Amino acid sequence: MKCENDKAQLTLYMNDQLMPAERAAMERHLATCEDCSAELEASMQMWNLMEEIPVPEPSGNMQMRFNVMLDTYKDAVAERKLTSLGLIEKLKQLFTLQPAFTMAYSIILIVAGVSVGLLLNRPAQGIVAGTTPQIDKLSAQVHDLKETVTLALLQNPSASERMRGVSFTSEIKGENKNIISALFVTLNNDDNPNVRLVTLEALTHYVNDPAVREGLIQSIEEQDSPLVQSALADVMLKLQEKRSVQPFKNLLKQKDLNMMVRSKIQETITQLI
Amino acid sequence: MDILTDNALMLRVKSGDLDKMSLLFRRYNRPLYGFLFHMTGRQEQSEDMVQDVFYRMLKGRHTFTGEGEFKTWMYHLARNVVKDFFRKNKHKASHYDASLYTDKLTGGMVADEMMQRKMEIEQLRQAINSLNDESREVLVLSRYQELKYAEIAEILGVSEGAVKVRIHRAINQLKAMYQTVETKN
Repeated sequence: MKCENDKAQLTLYMNDQLMPAERAAMERHLATCEDCSAELEASMQMWNLMEEIPVPEPSGNMQMRFNVMLDTYKDAVAERKLTSLGLIEKLKQLFTLQPAFTMAYSIILIVAGVSVGLLLNRPAQGIVAGTTPQIDKLSAQVHDLKETVTLALLQNPSASERMRGVSFTSEIKGENKNIISALFVTLNNDDNPNVRLVTLEALTHYVNDPAVREGLIQSIEEQDSPLVQSALADVMLKLQEKRSVQPFKNLLKQKDLNMMVRSKIQETITQLI
Repeated sequence: MDILTDNALMLRVKSGDLDKMSLLFRRYNRPLYGFLFHMTGRQEQSEDMVQDVFYRMLKGRHTFTGEGEFKTWMYHLARNVVKDFFRKNKHKASHYDASLYTDKLTGGMVADEMMQRKMEIEQLRQAINSLNDESREVLVLSRYQELKYAEIAEILGVSEGAVKVRIHRAINQLKAMYQTVETKN
């Protein structure tokens, strides 16, 4: 005898979606219909087995990452409020808050204008040989200005301005000693962990320089923020820097070290040795 | 202190008290991670996506009306994050480490039975991964997130009737897949 029962009802029964009367009817039907009770059985077995599919534990820094994200977002919102003030206010603030930046920016504009002018007005032939060094000199000056702006921004009281300064460093070509040492000052002394994090990120672009590697290793014991500590562990692991093992071990001796950082560092050490 | 409802908290966030988002994060980061993991099979990326969902909630806080539940709004955004993820990484949910199974299976089963059980679970996992996104999604929402049909309907923007149909269809597809995987092995 073919069963007339709607199989979709079985799923609803299993997921407890039926009204009491429907439910009772279904139970009566199941008692007599082998076909349906076998199908229900198979579905339920599978449904129960689904629960046993394991989900790996998240790495443990989700909360920290969320805090950083929220802080950064709050900073950004605060800044946007600042910029949505009136135009005059805005200009005033631009000039009072970041005089170095604004001035340097204007100078860059002037220098750029002059260089373009020189390029366009270049006499057809002859003096070309004389102008190229001039242009070279000008671009060197622009480069120096970039450096000045970056260094000034790194000193700014606002954390987001300092972060901007850090991000500017990527535009400065070559391994500039002044910039690198300024970045290390920020990495080891800045009171905002988010700024320190982006600084660490910026410094990883220079890891081919042995002095930078050395500086990063020395910085391990300077850090008190779990975020930066754990980011440094990541960097050292990536660099396979065995010299970092000792400073990490020293860090482990600190009693108040964050639990999650502790286990991360232990893991890093075992992977490095 | 934790007596405020999700909606009340989110409305506070909307009105500028951004710190209240921390409480919502505490309530929902694990379930959300579970959803993302079951959808993608990738641990690290799921953790990234948890941050992404919370970031989108902050950014889009003005669009939260408080008419629907916070939870459904969150899953709605999470679905978009998953969609973006699949668009960017043109692959389906993927494998993960089989050694994970050891943690969950205890309780005095003898070795053979445990092996057998592990294999069954692995087969089922493969079967779930080979489902289409629509079917996998309704299964994850109802089985793992333990959402009611009405809630799922709101998240997906379809009627409750459509949810009933989809879940029934998904279970049948999964059963068929599971049996194929089983016979293949």
